Amino acid sequence: MKNYDNKIIVIGIGNSGRQDDGLGWAFLDEITPKLPPNFDVEYRYQLQIEDAELISHYETVFFVDAHKQVLENGVIIEKCIPIETHSFSSHALPPETILFLAKTVYDKNPVSYIIGISGENFELNIGLTNKAKNNLEKAMSQFLNNFIKQKQATNISQ
Amino acid sequence: MAQKLVIDPVTRVEGHGKVTIHLDDHNNVKDAFFHIVEFRGFERFIQGHPYWEAPVMVQRLCGICPVSHHLAAAKAIDQIVGVDPKDLSLPAQKIRKLMHFGQVFQSHALHFFYLASPDLLFGHDADPLKRNIVGVAMEYPKLAKKGILMRKFGQEVIKLVAGKRIHGISTTPGGVHRRITAKERNYFLDDKEIPSVDTMIKWSVEIIDFMKEYHEKNKEFLDTFAAYPSGHLGLVNKENGFLELYDGDLRATDSEGNITLDDVPNDDYNEYFYESVEKWSYLKFPYLKHLGREKGWNRVGPLARINICEGIETPLAEKERLVFKAASNGKTNNSTMHTHWARLIEILYCAEMMKKLLEDDDILSNDLIRKGVRRKEGVGIIEAPRGTLIHHYEVDDKDRITRCNLIVSTTHNNEPMNQAVRWVANNVLSGQPEITEGMMNQIEVVIRAYDPCLSCATHALGQMPLELIIYDQYGNIVDEKLR
Repeated sequence: MKNYDNKIIVIGIGNSGRQDDGLGWAFLDEITPKLPPNFDVEYRYQLQIEDAELISHYETVFFVDAHKQVLENGVIIEKCIPIETHSFSSHALPPETILFLAKTVYDKNPVSYIIGISGENFELNIGLTNKAKNNLEKAMSQFLNNFIKQKQATNISQ
Repeated sequence: MAQKLVIDPVTRVEGHGKVTIHLDDHNNVKDAFFHIVEFRGFERFIQGHPYWEAPVMVQRLCGICPVSHHLAAAKAIDQIVGVDPKDLSLPAQKIRKLMHFGQVFQSHALHFFYLASPDLLFGHDADPLKRNIVGVAMEYPKLAKKGILMRKFGQEVIKLVAGKRIHGISTTPGGVHRRITAKERNYFLDDKEIPSVDTMIKWSVEIIDFMKEYHEKNKEFLDTFAAYPSGHLGLVNKENGFLELYDGDLRATDSEGNITLDDVPNDDYNEYFYESVEKWSYLKFPYLKHLGREKGWNRVGPLARINICEGIETPLAEKERLVFKAASNGKTNNSTMHTHWARLIEILYCAEMMKKLLEDDDILSNDLIRKGVRRKEGVGIIEAPRGTLIHHYEVDDKDRITRCNLIVSTTHNNEPMNQAVRWVANNVLSGQPEITEGMMNQIEVVIRAYDPCLSCATHALGQMPLELIIYDQYGNIVDEKLR
């Protein structure tokens, strides 16, 4: 049960039963022990509308998800902004829509980033491929360097 | 030239389905079908697994109502370890029920606010780009906020009992894993970190008031749109015939309220039900054996439950049930669109029941597990948000599951949904010179009233949408709707 004392949240999106689709969760598994105390983490299969309410309590949000494309260096970290979209599925909304709803319904616009990590296989199986494990290491390293080590965690949202 | 209309995918439902409508040369409807095009096979691949894995595995059937599958399987597995529902410890019963009411509450809130409300608030002819939850959030932010927080409340209750909101684990054969602590329950009562259960009751009453007002203004539409006679099936309380969601006897009535299944114990379900198949759908068609395939099908879910029960044990929901009954002059209600109204009465019932259970000190007890004499077979029946859910397992001497039969809520509603699609096809589309998007959406509106979970029903993986296609008499696609 959250008390929302923290200011930063990392949301891992995926499904560990679908091989490299579990990258978002694996990222949380690995990074959580290394995070400063002002971070919260949440595991999600998919983003849903109520996640707009969740992120409205934070100043900074990181969405971590597997990427189907082969990315240069295996990982991409980019800013995410609210975009009005009209998805037909109520139970799989993109981060941009969640941000748009947080802004529309809760008048909150947290600083947000998407961390996309390249996966290779997404079949019904448990365990990351070697390529995905390698990309996960790179994503961890970039995240720690860019957002934890080089900056004070409390300054991320500034 | 004769045509065939296809809606593929049908949207704002859980799962992937398709509607096809066959027209003749004069655009009159010749026939209409609601196809379920997913295939799964849970009943088969669970065979060989140890019985205690069933409640954990089968909840993967669904991301919306996993708790219902978890509990139905748990009730069946309780019997395999020799524990009937009445023999479960009181704390275990109450903790399971608390989770179940949280589940039904959040599922109904999801359906009403996210899936159904865009049609009611904007009309079925509105721009499809607006006719969705994002449109609702933009034009009705206060309503959207309540919807989000009501769903969140239910999910937090599930998380309290099962450890997480989706695919958590609460039950163990003969009971539950853990008790609730006083601190944990206060989270739902003190109105500090989240709106309290009292606020949930208040908001539930408000949303029923909205529906009653909507009914006043749109009486003809709600009363007559896709209204057709059907049987109604569900569980009722064994003692008094009241609304029952966790454990009761099976009762069914015909479209006029005459009893067709007279409070049958769960273990005997197999004597009364049969499932037929059609070559155009993966979804079976259950019916009562003694009435046959043509007359023995039943609606399940909120409308059926409110129709067959003799009362509701919580005061506010009972008051609303009486208002609801009065709207159909006390008769059995066959108005499909009234399902939304009935669903909201159940939201209120769940909120009141959650309050009652959260304030009950039994949920703090450590008396959680019972044991009995091992059996070879177990049947668990529960009222899931969408209706009657049946799990039946047989096991061998090595504790392996040898047979599994699942009759899921949406499966019961297969024939009723096909009837609803035919009603719209015949009454809205037939003979029209042009089929508009708004007309096509009315097909989806009636399907949505049932809140079908097509993934559950075919026991499916993959994409979730539904589609509508129009064919001519030669089988050529003339129009289709893909979103």
